[in-house]
Amino acid sequence: MENHITLEIIEQASPPETPSLIKYISSNELEDFDEFDSEFPSPISKESEETYNHQRKPSISVSMPLCYKETQLQSLNNNNNKNVSFSGENVIIRDDLASGIAMSEPPRQSKFKSQPMPKGVAFQQDGSQTRKANRNHNQPGIKMFRDKRFDSFKTWSGGGLERQLSILRGKEPIGNAQDGNNATRSFDRALPVDRYFDALEGPELETLKSSEEIMLPHDKQWPFLLRFPVSSFGICLGVSSQAILWKTLATSPTTEFLHITPKINLILWYISAVLIATIFAVYILKLLFYFEAVRREYYHPIRVNFFFAPWIALLFLALGVPPSVTKNLHQSLWYILMAPILFLELKIYGQWMSGGQRRLSKVANPSNHLSVVGNFVGALLGASMGLIEGPIFFFAVGLAHYTVLFVTLYQRLPTNATLPKELHPVFFLFVAAPSVASMAWAKIQGSFDYGSRIAYFIALFLYFSLAVRINFFRGFKFSLAWWAYTFPMTGAAIATIRYSNQVPNIVTKSLCIALALISTFTVIALLLSTILHAFVFRDLFPNDIAIAISDRKRKPHKHWLFRYGSQDSKEIENYLKFVNTDESSLDDSTPQPSSNDTDHNLPK
Amino acid sequence: MKINMECSQSNIELVIIEKNITNHNNQKSTSLMFTKRSLIRSITCILKKLHAGYFRISLSFGGQALLWKTLIDPTNDTSKSRHVLSMLPSSVFIVLWSMSLFILALLSLLYLLRCLFFFKMVKEEFLHHVGVNYLFAPWISWFLLLQSAPFIAPKTITYLILWWVFTVPVVVLDVKIYGQWFTKGKRSFLTTVANPTSHLSVIGNLIGAQAAAEMGWKESAVCLFSLGMVHYLVLFVTLYQRLSGGDRLPALLRPVFFLFFAAPGVASLAWESIVGDFDTLSKMLFFLSLFLFMSLVCRPALFKRSMRRFNVAWWAYSFPVTVLAMASTNYAQQVKGTVSHILMLILLALSVLVSFSLTLFTLLNSKMLLPDNDPIASILIV
Repeated sequence: MENHITLEIIEQASPPETPSLIKYISSNELEDFDEFDSEFPSPISKESEETYNHQRKPSISVSMPLCYKETQLQSLNNNNNKNVSFSGENVIIRDDLASGIAMSEPPRQSKFKSQPMPKGVAFQQDGSQTRKANRNHNQPGIKMFRDKRFDSFKTWSGGGLERQLSILRGKEPIGNAQDGNNATRSFDRALPVDRYFDALEGPELETLKSSEEIMLPHDKQWPFLLRFPVSSFGICLGVSSQAILWKTLATSPTTEFLHITPKINLILWYISAVLIATIFAVYILKLLFYFEAVRREYYHPIRVNFFFAPWIALLFLALGVPPSVTKNLHQSLWYILMAPILFLELKIYGQWMSGGQRRLSKVANPSNHLSVVGNFVGALLGASMGLIEGPIFFFAVGLAHYTVLFVTLYQRLPTNATLPKELHPVFFLFVAAPSVASMAWAKIQGSFDYGSRIAYFIALFLYFSLAVRINFFRGFKFSLAWWAYTFPMTGAAIATIRYSNQVPNIVTKSLCIALALISTFTVIALLLSTILHAFVFRDLFPNDIAIAISDRKRKPHKHWLFRYGSQDSKEIENYLKFVNTDESSLDDSTPQPSSNDTDHNLPK
Repeated sequence: MKINMECSQSNIELVIIEKNITNHNNQKSTSLMFTKRSLIRSITCILKKLHAGYFRISLSFGGQALLWKTLIDPTNDTSKSRHVLSMLPSSVFIVLWSMSLFILALLSLLYLLRCLFFFKMVKEEFLHHVGVNYLFAPWISWFLLLQSAPFIAPKTITYLILWWVFTVPVVVLDVKIYGQWFTKGKRSFLTTVANPTSHLSVIGNLIGAQAAAEMGWKESAVCLFSLGMVHYLVLFVTLYQRLSGGDRLPALLRPVFFLFFAAPGVASLAWESIVGDFDTLSKMLFFLSLFLFMSLVCRPALFKRSMRRFNVAWWAYSFPVTVLAMASTNYAQQVKGTVSHILMLILLALSVLVSFSLTLFTLLNSKMLLPDNDPIASILIV
């Protein structure tokens, strides 16, 4: 019945469209039928089918005058929870949406008739947002028209920012008047870390589990900015550490016999400066245009560590600056560079200590080393600049938290979901912290004394225990984050050079050369595969699935029962996690009922 | 509940006795007996409610006393601010010290009585994962008072004897509790019992080490220091991991999170006493303490729930901040410079402010101090 009404309305109100466009749209619709979930036979599918079969005028409506009737239609749909409601297929010529409710919108949004168009969003009352992806398949991703499927991630139109701005201004956010559900939930509040663990798998938590669905279409290539992960800053780390290596090789007394020209350092330094500037610029664009995507990366348990990478890369730049460019850097530069690291640290270590769900035993993974290494690199730079107290501060903080992290990772706790079971290049990050710490301590103390040597030998041991297991590093899918794993090798090489400055003999010198060669070859190999992937396979920036996971699992009830009845200890732990989530989650700020003070009756 | 019932029973008892007495025409003895009975009753009530956590108050006062002693003592810090601070009248310090002594003595006496008469309750406290750590608190307070005593110099025999008197219980408790961590069964695993108040055991060792170093007993100082630091390492890692998930700590006890930065602060002071100089290790410990302090201060949401109503756990805020202020004073003395002195002044102001407001709050909310509205008990407290 409703279908007929819809058809009628749409027929009446279809505006003149270019025929070619229409045909394209129709053909697109048909392709996407297979994506629909069979559970919810949608009126749209039937209707589109009819459209296609009848070769009719387009089932497209620009909804302006339509809204009123559609309200009624939609309120009808509203009463029946199982029905998919939609506001027709809309092709938007100019995206002026102020709706900001891209994801899942109650049909009631049509009351805002002054808005040119409600989005073509359909949603289930019980919260599956994948409807949206399916529905939007009806809206073609034609380049001439803005693709609204990604608007949910955009900052200015359809993202949360506009809505939040209007909240700040005191108005009711448009479209959210009686919206108590999905849109608010997924964008006003962070995705709990459990969602990432449940939906993703793999050593970098990049691959989607087969039972999960994502909010964005996975058959289309997303906009470039959405595909640009924060782990791209790893490239900066890799290249700038190479610059430091060649500078050290050129200037150290023990490697003078090699007669390395400082020009290599110069070239590498310029390349890395340009790279850093470029990647910074691109990421800032992503921040401006797709704030939601950045936010989701921040809440990803592995990607969050890469937010330290830009600042570490800048520190590397300062460390590797060629003598011909400048001899002395101003001390205020150090404070400026360390400030963001300090803020990030306060936030992240605080989460480890007292955050609700992001406690270390759960989220610890080798990439956490990135959050600790920043301290040591900062200490090294500060000490080379001549500062005393600041480097000691960061060294102390870094050491304390490194100890915690090291013990946790070595334990490989069963409650830890993110450690890859097999070896993966990320394990090389283990080598980073002790090698940089040894160099930092040597600079602070003035000479490569016992403390530095202890740290250096630890780094060396870890390096070798990974290097002899090189066989186990096979079979992983290349990703941009691998660049980040090369800087520990370079760091170990530089530490060896410093050590050999203190203890010059044939063993240390050959070790220097060997490690330097290995790291250079690794970087070159990585460069070649990057180029290969960029230009030949063209999949250097695949769709970033990790940020598009949906807010809820599709079948929460079954999932509960499964957990409840399972004997698996992991499941029991998960069950306990659920129980515990009833208590106040301090950091995720989820609006959950506040906890019962379980120990009321304690005489405290 | 049980406590309430007992109190009300004695009420009834009292009424009956009163009735009997009024039959005899002796007003004076009646009123005397009345007050005597009510006094005994109220003391009993207090003893039942007074748990070791109340020693937080004496900890705070002891910390303040030591802080003021550090400020007043002659120092080679030539900066202006320090000079100004050292001009504070020593009479204020003596008053402060005597007050701390009085409070500590009172609390100790009451707790002793509690041990004698209600040993079962003390035992329960001992078996509880939070309560057991507060058994260190009296000894820490006594150490603080000993170190800040205006008339006992460190190298006298009195100091020595008192040091032994306070150290032995600490070591005994150490052996018991630390030994349990790694030998005893399931319920005593560190991963299950670790909580921020466990820092108190570490602080106990470190304070003992500091007191020993003041005396010149370097070896015992280093012994206690290493004992404290090793267990601090284990505890630090365990607490950061938060294996048991959820919160082992009820929301009302969140102020004890401040103990996170108290431990490295005390360690920094202790190491300085041992070495004689605020060297790199002390600096590193001080910086760690400072970082943890900043980290906690940036998370006010953590403490919101516990700040709704006054309760004695609020006193947990004072001692750590005082320790941090003391460490910053020593740091400023070592590293002469404006920044360090500004830091010192800020932390000093904060510490005084916190202690003062806590005292004020307690006096205003004296009824809530012992969470059972016994009017006579509140009179006794004030």
